[in-house]
Amino acid sequence: MSGATGLEHNVWTCLSCHFLLPAATRAPARCPRCGARVHPRIEASLMFTWALTLTGALLLIPANVLPVMTVVYLGAGEPNTIISGVMQLHQAGYWGIAIIVFVASVVVPLMKLVGLALLCLTVQWQLPIAPAQAMRIYRVVNAIGRWSLLDLFMISILVALVQMGEAAEVQAEPGSTAFATVVVVTMIASRCFDPRLLWDSYSAIAAKAAEGPA
Amino acid sequence: MERAVDSPSGATAARPWRRACYQCDLLLTRALAPEGTKLLCPRCGAALHTHFPHSILYTAIYSFTGLLLFLPAATLPLLHFSFYVFDADNTLFNGVASLFGEGYIWLATLVLFCSVLAPLGKFLLLSFICWGCGWGKLARPVASALRWYQHLYKWGMLDVYLLGILVALVKMTDLGSISVEPGLYCFSAMMLMATATAISFDPEAVWSRLASAEGQRVAGTSGEPDL
Repeated sequence: MSGATGLEHNVWTCLSCHFLLPAATRAPARCPRCGARVHPRIEASLMFTWALTLTGALLLIPANVLPVMTVVYLGAGEPNTIISGVMQLHQAGYWGIAIIVFVASVVVPLMKLVGLALLCLTVQWQLPIAPAQAMRIYRVVNAIGRWSLLDLFMISILVALVQMGEAAEVQAEPGSTAFATVVVVTMIASRCFDPRLLWDSYSAIAAKAAEGPA
Repeated sequence: MERAVDSPSGATAARPWRRACYQCDLLLTRALAPEGTKLLCPRCGAALHTHFPHSILYTAIYSFTGLLLFLPAATLPLLHFSFYVFDADNTLFNGVASLFGEGYIWLATLVLFCSVLAPLGKFLLLSFICWGCGWGKLARPVASALRWYQHLYKWGMLDVYLLGILVALVKMTDLGSISVEPGLYCFSAMMLMATATAISFDPEAVWSRLASAEGQRVAGTSGEPDL
């Protein structure tokens, strides 16, 4: 059983309220229940996801190279990058917190960008990846994204808390702006991606395979 | 009687479908889960509908509690840091203010939005939705409030902020003495309320209540002459 899709049966789903409505002749229909604009698939999904993913990937470089904050302690202080902040936590013996910060601000953004690129390629080149597998990637990418903002919240707390001039001071540095933008851009990218395209491309592959030997 | 044929659920004899999975577009013949259960997409496993009993009542309680907790959480200090003769407090707003003062406007805006505006907006919208869905006249504002809630949903990051507080707490223990202030307990409770609303809120319950309110209004006015 391949299952009937809404697109084949000329019904669209409102992504805002999940209302099922008959297909309109032109693309943006109005949802009669909640008033949102409805497209059969998210409009220009691949294009936006690619654009935002690439933006995120480019911004990840300054985010990791530039310092994100400076901790001045008794007059001396040096700028910290994301990685060196994690190293400091590790050296101080807080390896539990070090792992949390490392996962949230290094692993998660990388995983998101790789995952989004993989999803886009799956649809674009019709790669024979089982949709169940691709859906797992999609859900992980969607769920983990927000946790990367952890580092920025920490910076904003420290900046307010440690303002003792030369004695002890925490300042934000430009890398944090780049990092914040990476997180926002990848969160929007994962919203732009339409997982239904994965199933469409998989059924297109299946249809081709069925035609092939005949 | 034409309305009955073209029923709002979109299901007719020729088209028995009542719902399509929003993640894989599989058509389903049932739209709603029975009370206390979840409706999962048989193909991709997406949770299509979670029927939480008395969803609207519980969500109203949680979001109202969240709103009440917002006042102390936003005004009381969360953390206190002392270093020899110096000391400072952290509230939800002064972190944003000092980032803004240093010229990091985009960063300050983002932190303000994710830790204050979006959670507050979500509580306000949910309170309005839960209160307004019993009134047929408010159908349109409630519908747009629901749409706004969907947009804001992901950007309320109280849980991430709480973890950020934890990391800051650990990071500063070596530098000076850092202590937890009453505001943090209110903040944690507010975070729990935000999570509770996310679990208890069921938009389908709102839609069905709106539909019945609308139905009552139409039935009530149909007897009177249309002026």
